Amino acid sequence: MLVSARIVAAALLLFAGAVAAAPRPLIAANSRIEFSIKEMGVTVSGQFTRFDAIIDLDPMKPETSSAKISVDIASLTTGDNDADAIAVDKPWLDKATFPQALFTSSAVKRVGPDRYEVKGALTIRGKTRAITVPLTTAAQSNGSVVASGSFRLQRSDFGIGGGEWNEGDVVANDVAVTFHLVLGAAH
Amino acid sequence: MPRIVAHPSAPLDGAGQASGYRPSASIPYDRAVTDHDRTIPLRYSTPAMLGHWLVVLLIVSTYCVAWTMVSLRISPTQLRLFNYHKWIGVTIFALAVLRVLWRLWRPPPPLPIQMRPWERQAAEIMHRLLYLLLFALPLSGWLMSSAKGFQTVYFGVLPIPDALSKNAALGAALTSVHVALTWLLLGLVSVHVLAALKHQLVDRDTVLWRMLPRLSRPKKH
Repeated sequence: MLVSARIVAAALLLFAGAVAAAPRPLIAANSRIEFSIKEMGVTVSGQFTRFDAIIDLDPMKPETSSAKISVDIASLTTGDNDADAIAVDKPWLDKATFPQALFTSSAVKRVGPDRYEVKGALTIRGKTRAITVPLTTAAQSNGSVVASGSFRLQRSDFGIGGGEWNEGDVVANDVAVTFHLVLGAAH
Repeated sequence: MPRIVAHPSAPLDGAGQASGYRPSASIPYDRAVTDHDRTIPLRYSTPAMLGHWLVVLLIVSTYCVAWTMVSLRISPTQLRLFNYHKWIGVTIFALAVLRVLWRLWRPPPPLPIQMRPWERQAAEIMHRLLYLLLFALPLSGWLMSSAKGFQTVYFGVLPIPDALSKNAALGAALTSVHVALTWLLLGLVSVHVLAALKHQLVDRDTVLWRMLPRLSRPKKH
């Protein structure tokens, strides 16, 4: 009896391991991708309401983990119609030509308990830059996992808001991005 | 019409019948002597004048900035003007606070003796309304900015906490309030200016001189 219980336990563990390695579905309704940028000291913040993420994170073997996140540029909202209109217009994110922003991981390194460093390529407005994103995971009691983190990017690296928008230090170059992705229990 | 020259011991205030009140030549124009041999200033104090004329200058500037910025398309220039407008508004608010405190500490000089009670009352109500709007306009601007998600950061360095969280519908409603108050202030200021001109040109009394520096002495009669 005892032996069979052990076998069952071992089988369950293996199964659990196999499950964790499969991608978890993104629960978009509870997830957020936000940004903020300063103009003359005033922080203007907004978010993207449509995005998708395929995150395959194995805490046991983080090096095999991968993440691919795509963001629908047109879903940008700051809560102010004028600001939204300019943010997705040609000088800025140019939603007509570049409807999606994309992040694809290339390497995941574990740096602490539930903490990772994700290297990858970020493509915005057709320009790709290598970035490193700190990632924190938190297992929830309902079996889901919250993957969150924040990083900064320079909008000039991606040619976001050129021309007059780069004159006179009105709008900062620095953009803060934070993400809070809720990943459901794996199937 | 015969001129009645105020006697030094005549009461300064009250509904006197003296219709042609002029200070006697022997009394300095901007001081009046009471029956206790103390003098009472007939002009506003220097800080009060400074506060008044500075606010005039700032109101004119902020109206010009506002007028320009709302007609611009969204651009760095527009953002710049929005911020200037907000900074001037904060400054006007702060000056309004200082002016009220100063006014409580140093009450304004007396009104001309021949002013009728209703005129005094009208002046009192008018000045209260003007002060009310000097507070209400910046406050409504700050609230609308808060609701629209654009914090007010004084001179780009001193963040003024947002009173409201981002709410587009509330932002639009508060914008209407701010704009309505703008027109109300414009109307009240027009009446204020017309009243000052009436005192100066029709009544030919001391009202306007009270708010002007000493160098603009009225002609001796």
